[in-house]
Amino acid sequence: MNKAPLKAFAGLAGLAAGGGLTMLVRLALGMPVWKTSPVLVVGIAAGLFAWLAATVGFRKLLSLDAARGALCGLAGTGVAIGITMLVRLAIGLPAWNASPVLTVGIFTGVVVYLITLGVFNYWARWAVGRPDGADRPKKPGWARYFDVDTDHKVIGVQYFVTGLAFLPFAVILQLVGRTHMVDPDLGILASGSYESVIGTHGIVMMFIVVLPVFFGLVNYFVPLQIGARDLAFPRLNAFTFWLVPPAGLLAAFSLMAGGFTTGWTAYPPLSSSFEVQGMDLVLIGVYLAGLSSILTAVNVLATIFKKRAPGMGFFRMPIFVWGTLATTSLSLVFTQFIGMSFLMVLLERTLGMGFFVPAMGGQVLLYQYLFWFYSHPAVYIFVLIGLGLISDIIPVFVRKPLFGYKGVAVSSMGIAWGGTIVFAHHMFAAGLPGWMRVPFMITTLLVAVPTGVKVFAWTATTWMGKIELKTPLLFVFAAVILFLIGGLTGIPQGIVPTDLYLHDSYWIVGHFHALFFGGFLLPAMAAIYYWFPKVRGRMLSEKLGRIQWFLMVPGMFLMVVPMLGLGLEGMRRRISDYEFILNLQPLHIATAVGGFLVFAGLVVLGYNLVVSNRRGETAGKNPWEASTLEWMISSPPPEHNFDEIPHVHDRPHLEQHAHVGGEPEQKSGEKEGDKA
Amino acid sequence: MTFPAVEIESARSSPMRLGMVLFLISEAFLLGALFWTYYYLRGLTPGWPPHSPPATLAFVNTAVLLSSSATIWLGARAIRRGNEKGLFGFLLATIVLGAAFLGITGWEWTHEDFFPWTDAYGSTFYTMTGFHALHVLGGVLLMLALLARTARHRFTADSFKAVEVGSLYWHFVDFIWILVFTSVFIIR
Repeated sequence: MNKAPLKAFAGLAGLAAGGGLTMLVRLALGMPVWKTSPVLVVGIAAGLFAWLAATVGFRKLLSLDAARGALCGLAGTGVAIGITMLVRLAIGLPAWNASPVLTVGIFTGVVVYLITLGVFNYWARWAVGRPDGADRPKKPGWARYFDVDTDHKVIGVQYFVTGLAFLPFAVILQLVGRTHMVDPDLGILASGSYESVIGTHGIVMMFIVVLPVFFGLVNYFVPLQIGARDLAFPRLNAFTFWLVPPAGLLAAFSLMAGGFTTGWTAYPPLSSSFEVQGMDLVLIGVYLAGLSSILTAVNVLATIFKKRAPGMGFFRMPIFVWGTLATTSLSLVFTQFIGMSFLMVLLERTLGMGFFVPAMGGQVLLYQYLFWFYSHPAVYIFVLIGLGLISDIIPVFVRKPLFGYKGVAVSSMGIAWGGTIVFAHHMFAAGLPGWMRVPFMITTLLVAVPTGVKVFAWTATTWMGKIELKTPLLFVFAAVILFLIGGLTGIPQGIVPTDLYLHDSYWIVGHFHALFFGGFLLPAMAAIYYWFPKVRGRMLSEKLGRIQWFLMVPGMFLMVVPMLGLGLEGMRRRISDYEFILNLQPLHIATAVGGFLVFAGLVVLGYNLVVSNRRGETAGKNPWEASTLEWMISSPPPEHNFDEIPHVHDRPHLEQHAHVGGEPEQKSGEKEGDKA
Repeated sequence: MTFPAVEIESARSSPMRLGMVLFLISEAFLLGALFWTYYYLRGLTPGWPPHSPPATLAFVNTAVLLSSSATIWLGARAIRRGNEKGLFGFLLATIVLGAAFLGITGWEWTHEDFFPWTDAYGSTFYTMTGFHALHVLGGVLLMLALLARTARHRFTADSFKAVEVGSLYWHFVDFIWILVFTSVFIIR
């Protein structure tokens, strides 16, 4: 029987019911009946749900942990909002005050969601001394990815796909913003909406795209590369993953709740003023994402310290693992600062506290100290894993071991910990005490040294190599060049006199987009082409990969370089308008075109993923002839990763790096230690 | 330079303790952000502190919390010697002391002459003591879980890692209280 009409009907009925109900509620609350965004969003969500229910069956849909958790979480939010309003009435306050009511509602909803999802089941059973239920049957196929699962490979895919799912959302937001800037007089966005749109783009990109994409790779490949069965705490791993989807939805829905005009930095006093209505959702969302990344850091560090295979000394780990080690050691401690500073703003909004309110004896600059003390190291949190990927992919495709392996490994830690003492360079223009300027200028410039070590090592590795220009290597080369541009354009911002001119201009927007392209997006693309065969057992299309490259990389240059020019011309960031007489429009047009090219590249990637997942050629164990451990097992890896305990003999990217199965080689006795 | 090969044994050993130590390092930074706030405001505000919460009861509270550190230590010692009943008793005592601490803190809060929304001092005072109290609450829940497990005879002289790891957390929370107490009530 053809069920297509039924599915379509269910979807449309859901859309109509959801939209209609929203309009009725709005009518009952005395609001204007039609407002496009809430009515459409609720309608589309209801329609999607009805369509899914008709497609896979209502019962099966509800049996998915994710669906159950989401529904119960929503219900919990509603009930908690209702109770809070009743309590407020009872103690003589006006029933509705967005910040406290929403905050209580959302936190309760998230807790209900986590409980009904079942991430606490293992621990609850452990506490009362019952069997932990780990032998629960796993659903076949895609359904497994919507259940709470403790296998690091499943969680890795969950993280990665969550990040990828939010990527087009964040990019489209920015395309709207860029289109607006082509001709602000057309009024595509109102002035408040423009700031909200780009702020949401920033927040979603950093916390809901970059972190989950990298944590996905870390989850999947760090245990494989160090020869472990799983992460140190698989249940904690599941818990930290399931914090990410609500965080992402909160950040995205802040636009519907009124948006936030502060930009991603959320500086008070603007962020604690009630005119910025969507702020609460962003603050809570980022807090959840931060909590997730702190606990993931605990988990990954314990894994790297405790779960390495025999022979896997620290200086035999792939650089990707070193980058992970550096990143997680930073996010372990510094994420607490953004968590705390965001919570303090939330407390100001909900309880009327006054840490940053001068009239109450607070200090505005205090927020900036706390915030940048995290957020500068955060930059390294966002790029170090990408730099590790670059260092690992180059040797595979130039058929040479990494030049200066030990220096590159240590430079990851150098960048990470050197980066912790530079934070005040974000505040050169903020009224910093004069004596702080020069020391922070010097430390800032010093961080360029370990970064330079990496770039020199990559170049030297490529030198005289047998270069195979496969798609991963193409992306890596583009990444190195963009990263270099990002690094060099950072120097004028580290130097006080030039920074005072460039601060808060498009120069910095261009600078950090170059860094994010070179340190995150392009390495992530390289990683997709490099590791997809391992995860799915099929190769991605090289041809589509090249088309993507030729759309994306020129697009990135077209986006970044005009931004730098705009900055030099004096264009400020987060401003939704400019005078045509200043002749800035051509540069804005170029930036917008670049943005659309990058997006076109992403569309090609999506097509490639879907098509190659079905019809790509079979990959086999080791299509790239790489030597690290993940390539010594079948693709996709078996449930338990390694049939036998792997043994590691030497550095990565050497023939004799490691082997799985068979007796440990006797003659490797003299190679026990690391010789260099 | 040589690097010792990792033994198969250590690859299999439980990393629970390391996980807790890492988590506590992280928590130290969370509370560090609060201390930063407190001392930053203190340095820039003439006439600090604008309010003087009475220290007498806080002294009592400190004694209560410190003695709970002793009871959890005694509990861990008891199970190391195979004394399950001793562990149960000392865990119970720790929970009672922790709950007493929370009760006294709550009583103090309702009897201060300033509120979180009075001024920046009030905000900092309630946030610091509040975050610490949240950590004590988390500790009490952890102790309750350990108590439930003890009642089901899950800890023996050979297997009590969770007790040790739990007590690590408890000692940390106590140590943080000493810092909060010294900052807020003694040196002002």
